[in-house]
Formats: sequence, C-alpha cells, structure tokens
Amino acid sequence: MVLVFVYIPVIFNFVYSFFRLSSYSAGKTFVGFDNYRRFFSDDIFPIMLKNNFLYCIISLIVQVGFGTIVALLLESKLAVKFKNVYRNIYYLPALISITAVGLMFTFIYEPNMGFINSVLKVFDLPTRSWLGDSKLAIYCIIAMSQWQFTGYITLLMVVAFQNISTDYIEAAEIDGAGPIRRALNIQLPLAKEQLLVCIIITVIGAFKLYTEVYATTSGGPGNSSQVLGLYLYQQAFLHDDLGMAAVAGVFIFAITVVLSIIQIKITGSGKD
Amino acid sequence: MKKSYLRRALVFILAGTMALSLMGCGGEKESPSRDTSKEATSGEKTSNEETKKEATTGEQKVIKFMHRFPDEPYNSFIEGKLHEYEASHPDIKFKITSAQNQEYKEKIKVVVGGEDTPDIFFSWVGDFTYRFIRENLILDLTPYFEADPEWKDSLIESQMKQYTTEDGMIYGVPFRLDCKLFFYNADIFEQNDLKVPTTFDELIDVCEKLKAAGITPISFGNMEPWSASHYIGTLNQICVPDDVREKDYKPTSGEFTHPGYVEALEYYQKLLPYMTENPNGVKPDMGRTTFAMGNAGMYYAELIEIPYIKMENPDMKFGMFKFPEIVGAEGNQDILTGVPEGFVVSSKTKYPDECVEFLKWFLGKEVGTEQCQEIGWFNAAKGTTEGLTDQALLDGYNVIMESKAMGAWLDNALYSTVVDEYLTAVSDLTNGDITPKKVMARIQKKAVEAQTLVGAGSTK
Repeated sequence: MVLVFVYIPVIFNFVYSFFRLSSYSAGKTFVGFDNYRRFFSDDIFPIMLKNNFLYCIISLIVQVGFGTIVALLLESKLAVKFKNVYRNIYYLPALISITAVGLMFTFIYEPNMGFINSVLKVFDLPTRSWLGDSKLAIYCIIAMSQWQFTGYITLLMVVAFQNISTDYIEAAEIDGAGPIRRALNIQLPLAKEQLLVCIIITVIGAFKLYTEVYATTSGGPGNSSQVLGLYLYQQAFLHDDLGMAAVAGVFIFAITVVLSIIQIKITGSGKD
Repeated sequence: MKKSYLRRALVFILAGTMALSLMGCGGEKESPSRDTSKEATSGEKTSNEETKKEATTGEQKVIKFMHRFPDEPYNSFIEGKLHEYEASHPDIKFKITSAQNQEYKEKIKVVVGGEDTPDIFFSWVGDFTYRFIRENLILDLTPYFEADPEWKDSLIESQMKQYTTEDGMIYGVPFRLDCKLFFYNADIFEQNDLKVPTTFDELIDVCEKLKAAGITPISFGNMEPWSASHYIGTLNQICVPDDVREKDYKPTSGEFTHPGYVEALEYYQKLLPYMTENPNGVKPDMGRTTFAMGNAGMYYAELIEIPYIKMENPDMKFGMFKFPEIVGAEGNQDILTGVPEGFVVSSKTKYPDECVEFLKWFLGKEVGTEQCQEIGWFNAAKGTTEGLTDQALLDGYNVIMESKAMGAWLDNALYSTVVDEYLTAVSDLTNGDITPKKVMARIQKKAVEAQTLVGAGSTK
C-alpha cells in the first residue's frame, strides 16, 4: 500500500520531470535536464526560494517559539483558572478553512476600505497597499498564517507538557527552581521529541505553502509573493507544463527531506 | 530482548496493515453492483462504459455539459434551458458541471484530456481553444454549418468569425457577446460640465478635472491582473500595426520587438495617476462596485457587466464610450476590444449530431431573445433584441453591431507562459517597480522560449 500510494508516485514524478507533457495531450517528449535548466534559471526561482525560507524562519520563531512559550504559560500556575478558555481561544483560528481565512484577510488588508487602513486613518497614520505592495505582500501572508497556526503548535506543545510527570516539576520546585529554570531544564528537554515534530511540521509546511498565497495574492503583485507550491500548481494547470511542475515537486521533496534529516541529526531524536 | 519484541510487534503491525488494505482493495473489486442511480442524482460523472452502452442500445443519451457561470441568475437560466430541452427531447439527459472563471480554466484542461471529457463545454476564443484544436480535441463544426445554411445565416457573421480559425474551421458558437467600453457616471459628468472624450488627450483632460473636483476619475482593481490586460490589449491594438501584432500573438512567431508595445505601456502609465489608489490591492469587482456606488467618474468595463452594475445600483445613470483615439498611433483605432464567449463540442463525444442540434436551439434566436431579457446577455443569433427595452443594453449591443473589427482578450489570445509574464510584469509596472522597456524585455524573452515550447510534448 505504502509502496503503491507513496513511493511509486514519487518515482513517477521524478521520471516525468525529464519530459515535456500536458494534462490534455497523449504525447510526451523527452527533454533531458532542460526542465531543470529552465526551473533553476527562471527569474522567479530566487524569489520563491526567498519567500519560502522567509515563511519558514518566521514560522519557526512565531509558531514554534512563541507557541511553545504560550503553551508553557498555559501549563503554568498563572493560567490555572482560565486554562481551557485560553486554549480554545488560541486553537480556534486553526479550525477555520485556509481559503476562508484568506478571503477574510483580503478584506482586512484592502487598501481603501479595509479594516487595517480604516483604523490607521482614524489615528491619522499613513496607510499602505498591503497585499498590493510588492515589498509587503509576502509578509502580509506570513502574518496571516502566524495568526492561524500558532494556536495549533501551542496545543501540540500543551499535550507534550501535560505528559511530563508532575514528580519532576515538584522535585524541581522543592530544589528551588523558578518557573524559567523549570521550563528550560525540565519541561523543554522532556518535551524535546514533540518540539522536533512541531519544527518538522512547520518546516515542511513552509515549503509546501500554497493555499494561503492562492487565496490572497496568487503570487502577486508581479511575482513578489510567489512560492514553490503555487508555482508547481500554476505550471501544471495554468501553463499545461506537467514536466516543469514535476521538477518543482522534486525540488520541494528534496528540500524537505534534506531539512528533516538535518533536524533529526542535530537534535539526536530517538537516541534517548 | 526488548528490541526483538519491538521488531516482532512492528512486523505484525505492518503485516496486519497490508493484509487489511489488500482486503479493502479486494472488496472494492468484487463489489457485486454499483448504485448508479445514486450517481445520477448526486451529479457525479457517468463512466465511459455506461455512455458506450447507452450509445449502442439507443437508450437515454447522456450529454455532459460544462460551463463557467455558477453565479445566479446565470446558472439558473442555463440549467433551466437545459431541463427545458430535456423535457422536449426525452432521449437526452444532461449532466451539468460548472466552475468559476479561474477555476474553470484549470479544471477544463484536466478533464478535456481524460476519458470523461464533457461533450459540450465553454471555451474562450484564441489560444485557449487553439491548444485543444492542436490536439484534435475539438469537433469541427464547419460541415454542420455547410449542411445547414439556414443556421449559418441566423448567426451574426462578425461574431462567428471569432470562432473560426485562420484556415476556416468553425470550432464554437457564441453564448454571450462582449466588448470593452468606458462606462461613465452621467450625473458626475453633468455636474462637472464634462463631455465624453473622443481622444486620449481629452480623456486625460476629463481625468484632471475629476481629480481636481475630488472624484476618483477611473475606478480600477488589478488584484487579479487580467484586469490590466484589458487596457494593455486595447492599447496594443491602437499602438501596434495589425500585421505585426497578429504575428506576435501567435506562439510560434511571437517576438514583441515593435516599439508600439512600449508606447502602449507608456499610455497605460499615463492613466495610472487617475485610477483608484493602490489598484494592485483592490479586487476587480471592488473596482466595479466603487463605480456603481457613484464613487468614481469612469470605469473601463465589459458589456456583460451592465446587469451587475444595475443590480448593485438600479438608479444609476451611466453612458458608454469606446476607448478614445490616440492621435498619431501606428495601430488600428477601429478595433473594439472583446470577443464573444461560447461553447465548443468535444471531438470525443459519442453524440456529435445531438450536441450540434442542441446548440442550434440553445444558442439560437428563441433562447437568445429570452436570454437578453432575463439575464442581460446577448448571444450571436440575429434579431434577439426584439422587445428589449433596456436602453443601456441596447446601446452596448449597437456598439458591437457597428464595430468594424473586434480584438481578442489579451489574456486568452497569447500563449500561457507569455501572457503570464505580461500580467505579472504589468502588475509590477502598476506598482511603479519596473519601466515599460523592462516589461517588454521580459516578454520578449518569454516569447522566444514559447516558440520552442509550443507543440513540444503534443501528439503533433
């Protein structure tokens, strides 16, 4: 089953990357490495790579970093009373469909009647074009994703912290460890595996990024918010170039596999 | 010891999973019967085998019909007509699917190549359909028109010409006529003592006066960059000679080196200071709403947008004028931007005669007359405006009838990679990130690449 549904398509995708073919045509032409040459020499390539890495780094800082801090706070004595309420508040955005969120943020970012510019106008502050600004568009999309998915990582980390035996925490308390020391020396090391999972999910998600961009800017203005996942889709279904789409697929696969292996090696997962 | 247990457990789990999954596959294969009635009611696709069976036994003929108008009231009108045809032809049954504009463009390319191709489907004029013609996926309607001169005479020749290839193959029949015109707010023009501009300089003058009066001169949203392509398409027609433009628009010979292309972009740049602020952040339909709500003086609109404007503001008084003349430009000032949109028949259909017979009725005078009265869209049949009282619709219709030539939509006329570069580069130009010369340098590069890509990977 795994072989049929996972590995064979990956192998086929690799084979197709050496052909020029379209979805509606029966014929295909072997073009060797020409698709790879076109992919790596395309002016969009560095833009996509930059955008995907930006998304990855910011997501690691905000979703994993900030999300973990929020999880620690939720598991601390500070939030005892309203723990469940906070947990639901943070997790709620992750339940909304990405397309709906994209549409909602399109209205929030709208330059003339949108929420953000309307607020800025009230305080007589300069307004921006947001999604229409080549320099800001990708950051606007990244911000939207952080709003949506930080709560998801928070929830995963809360589960990990709850699995830590209270004996360790109590022992540390008796030894005089404060909340920061307890978090750094007890909770985080014991939740290391879960943290790694969160990092891998975030990194892989960053390179598979598609719906958020499709639902807001479709890669624009110009190509300023173009990303690898959307490029793959557009090559396949807009330009009828399944070979180029396969190249993008191979590249995304390679980059996520390499980054995942690096992370596992660095953190030494599974050794304990 | 512990490791060995773990390994055994893993082997058991894997073996169990595989056995279960194989059982699952077997169950599906050996399923004694499939509930086909469920498929029919849920609107799912009928298998090819079923279609073949129906074709040979003379039972009900299922025609798969795909269109791109899921919005109301257009969807209800189309589906209503299809059901009406079913009622009068008991042997015909339609399976209808639809998708919105962009989604449709992507979906149709996938289904056309597969085994479950729609028999009749919507398709745009230009390279959008030529790509299917190059693969022999579209039925040649020429013999049907030759066999039925009455049908041919009942349709407007200038519009049918758009669905005819250079070598004379008729590949589609228009469903709705369209063109691009400047719509202007009659009240705003009257209050500011403005006249309809006839030249580009006069247009700039009108824009200046509106801007001075604190009114947005031209409403525009380019968040979906096809919107700007309508300006560029028009300006290319005006600034580039016909023969050069026609050669460049063909994917096999496109070069885009004529200086008129840069001039066209420069004229577009001249309009930008008078358009909605930050147009790249504004959706095209928001641009239309701004105009419909009386917050802008003009809006470069499609004729088919009249019903939308009337729906948004039924009391609005507006007039229309063609894109003004650019004195001294090298191209063709007479071309009206916009071509009809219509339906084509798949060459893979089991029922070509039935499909053509249906199109004769669906895209003919009888339905066309109801169509313009009910949803405000004209088809290409002659004499459909009888009884129509809406003056704005009649004015628009007359502009098309009087037009000497029509120009294809830029985003459907060009090869997909070239048009994509055009749209993204013009989007950058709109933001002021790039110069017109640099835009054209990018397009020239893509046009050269397109020459090698076109046809590669095809069966031809």
